[in-house]
Amino acid sequence: MLRTALSTLALALLGWWSAAWITRDFHAWTAEGARRLIVIEQPVAVPKVALAGPGLVDADLHTWLNGAGRATIVDFVYTRCPTVCTTLGSGFQQLQHALAKETTDGVKLLSISFDPAHDDASSLQRYAAQWRADPNRWAIATVRDADQLQGLLKAFQVVVIDDGRGGYEHNAALLVLDGRGRLVRIFDDTEFELALNYARSIAQREAGE
Amino acid sequence: MISMRRAGSRSATWRTAAVLLLLSLMLLPPVRRMTESSMTAHMLIQYPCLMLLGALLVQELPARWVSAAQRWNELGIAGLVGSALTLAVLMVPRVLDLALVDARVEALKLIALVASGAALRLSWQRAGVVVQAFFLGNLLPMTTVVGTLYQDSAARVCNAYRLDDQQALGLAMVLITIVTAALWLLHVATRRTGNDAT
Repeated sequence: MLRTALSTLALALLGWWSAAWITRDFHAWTAEGARRLIVIEQPVAVPKVALAGPGLVDADLHTWLNGAGRATIVDFVYTRCPTVCTTLGSGFQQLQHALAKETTDGVKLLSISFDPAHDDASSLQRYAAQWRADPNRWAIATVRDADQLQGLLKAFQVVVIDDGRGGYEHNAALLVLDGRGRLVRIFDDTEFELALNYARSIAQREAGE
Repeated sequence: MISMRRAGSRSATWRTAAVLLLLSLMLLPPVRRMTESSMTAHMLIQYPCLMLLGALLVQELPARWVSAAQRWNELGIAGLVGSALTLAVLMVPRVLDLALVDARVEALKLIALVASGAALRLSWQRAGVVVQAFFLGNLLPMTTVVGTLYQDSAARVCNAYRLDDQQALGLAMVLITIVTAALWLLHVATRRTGNDAT
């Protein structure tokens, strides 16, 4: 019975250790939860990506994000999206409204379409018009190069799947990037207030540096 | 006598080969992609198939090895605790997502499933009703809770799988626990009446 007690104990410890590893010490049960925790601990630098969209011709994402006192709130969308992107669209519109009252232009908004096949220049233009995006505050773009797009989605762990109805399901969220082009925090797609305050705080902090 | 044994060992060899063949089939990348294409298939086709193959594989091992291992597994306690914990960990949604993108996690998951099937096969009979009840008493309520969560959650718990898929899986998990509990109770009841008759 001693041997059985020992082997059971060993298995229990192994089970505990695996559970702790997979859940990051019982803090994250889903991949999405883990993604958000990991980003806080280790900011993710944007890979080399060229943006294309209204007012943007082959703009290097890193350069676009760069600047002391800058912070950018990024969301990933596809313009045909009927559900979650509508929430994101109107949320971004409200953010833009809040930002318009500010004197500094530290915080920018960027919507990136992960569906370049459908989202050509005119679709992006339509999306911008639909939400009355102010090009000085809110850029709307896509990544034409398939490898670059995949690289970006992979780096940020944006997972896009077929929704079975001709559209996509994706882990929509508000991604805050700092002026050094790093993803530093991820918020729920309803936490616009929190994302804005966080973006403002890092923009101010970096401007002071 | 000798020829019979030879024929017996030959069919045993074939059986072992067949189990190994099926197992390697399950591990082939295209088959894995298929069995992992939906959350429901991942947990209700791939998981049980690998466990079943683990159970079949352990029967092919030399009796000497098995009896040596069983000295560490009195009343099947170690085996049942090990499988219950394995299944508990493999029900964490992050495992399903990670297994699709991280080869290490995928490999460990596949090994753990085969091993827990083998452990169940080695442990179930020797466990007896009390230890079996303890095992199911932990595993089934846990599966029900996870299944209910999958059904009721408005958000997706896996980034790689659809919400309707997740909800169908949740319902199926709850149904499976009910059926398993009913079958086990029936099994215990009929065995008891059998004992009473003798």
